[in-house]
Amino acid sequence: MFKNEEMEINLGPQHPSTHGVLRVKLRLDGETITHCKPVIGYLHRGVEKICENQTFFQGQVWTDRMDYCSAVANNLGWAEANEKLFGITVPRRAQYIRTLLNEFNRLASHLIWLATHALDIGAMTVFLYAFREREDILDMNEAFCGSRLTTTAFRIGGLREDMPPGFEKMARKFLAKFPTCLEEYENLLSENRIWKKRTVGVAMLSAEDAIALGVTGPVLRAAGVPYDIRKAFPYAAYAEMDFEVPTETAADTYARYLVRMAEMRQSARIIQQCLDGMPEGPVMAKIPKILKPEVNEVYHATEAPKGELGYYLVGEKGSTNPYRFHVRAPGFINLQSLPKMAEGGLIADIVAAIGTLDIVLGEIDR
Amino acid sequence: MNKFLRTLIPSDIAKGLAITGKHFCKVFFTANRRKVPFHIVSEYPEVVAKVQPRYRGRLTLLKDEQGEIKCVCCLACEKICPTQVITIEKGKKEGRKMPYPVRYDFEMERCIFCEFCVESCGFDSIILNHQFELATYNREDFSLGMEGLSQNMFEPSPVGKFSVADD
Ligand code: SF4
Ligand code: SF4
Repeated sequence: MFKNEEMEINLGPQHPSTHGVLRVKLRLDGETITHCKPVIGYLHRGVEKICENQTFFQGQVWTDRMDYCSAVANNLGWAEANEKLFGITVPRRAQYIRTLLNEFNRLASHLIWLATHALDIGAMTVFLYAFREREDILDMNEAFCGSRLTTTAFRIGGLREDMPPGFEKMARKFLAKFPTCLEEYENLLSENRIWKKRTVGVAMLSAEDAIALGVTGPVLRAAGVPYDIRKAFPYAAYAEMDFEVPTETAADTYARYLVRMAEMRQSARIIQQCLDGMPEGPVMAKIPKILKPEVNEVYHATEAPKGELGYYLVGEKGSTNPYRFHVRAPGFINLQSLPKMAEGGLIADIVAAIGTLDIVLGEIDR
Repeated sequence: MNKFLRTLIPSDIAKGLAITGKHFCKVFFTANRRKVPFHIVSEYPEVVAKVQPRYRGRLTLLKDEQGEIKCVCCLACEKICPTQVITIEKGKKEGRKMPYPVRYDFEMERCIFCEFCVESCGFDSIILNHQFELATYNREDFSLGMEGLSQNMFEPSPVGKFSVADD
């Protein structure tokens, strides 16, 4: 009686569960997705080109605005890529503070992931609790660099200022209560039958596929590949830190949830070690007032909360601007795996797939 | 059998409810009684918002004790600003050795509050104050100068009523 037809629909660009202005073209057979194509570019600002027209010093403010949920991690990558280009050694105290702030930022980013991901799937309570803890981290950002989201935290060669008075107390207070908060989230979610129904076995991405697509970060680690740049190519003060790289083998949404929760515990451990072993000394290296590059090109990869964040910088002789600047954004590369995750699944599960990738459109479109 | 019991008795949901219940009781039974309340929401427009000492707000020109403008027109801030929102016109003033800014224009709508200008100033003549409520209805109000009708570079912004604008 009825014709059997495939239907095409758009998810987004103004859809609350696409975490920004992502548009996904879906072809449906009933409720099953047969074809899925992400369309990006709605937030394109040309950050790479802007940075090529600015000096190395000024470029940092644009990196804040790429992945605005983890601005500190972006700043760190930019600062270290520049230091590599100019051959600057950063004082040890500055390295420790950078590591500390970066890990706090990872916590903030993972908390916002947990909050929005759970909200997308239908668990409202976790959203409020996770934002409560994130607020404390943002307050610490504000105390340290004066801004909550667009931090501009570091300078090429070190830090602008040392830790403000009272910062260490704030950090320790947060660390003391954070494990209980994590337990709360886990009590709310880990065993919850609705959560498990919506996540276990949903949006699978095997290790082979993940590696073939270049996926990094928690998504790759949830497929059983223990690849973490903090361990593989240590930067900042990570070589001196004692932490583990949590992995899971199930490769589904639930495994990614477990990996990120375990990562938050490890981050708290790293922060504790940073606070305890904080060396004394200056926080800024001696650098010339006008930076002119000697080496021609560098690629520097850091482990941002979302995956491998790489900065490729080409310096020109005699110029104060980068000749070419390119960002390997983790969100952009991870989004490639969305069709693989969603195709063949139900339409309700694409929300889980987008949430589990933890994308930020500011970084994907740049 | 075990699975059947688990389906029948929703222990996982009870666990979640216990957490929300605990928080609810903590806040509800201590309301108005504790010095440091458990609830973390700040009653913002009624209570003035406090920001951290390093907070980056609106750019402000400073004067010294004699009421002279501290700026000496070295143009460092103009050069370093990533969005080029500062425009300075150099000039002279009777009885002053240093150059004097005839015009100091600042277009707030494009400022990204990065504090690079303050950092580059070797004469401590500008700061970012602690105001964050800077929205206005007219676009012209965002072009600040040394003399402005609704707001200028010396005074705190009149629109920011609920944030502190000290130091
Ligand atoms: S805060 Fe940044 S954007 Fe604003 S005027 Fe100063 S340098 Fe320019
Ligand atoms: S850097 Fe300071 S002294 Fe120089 S022009 Fe700017 S405000 Fe004036």
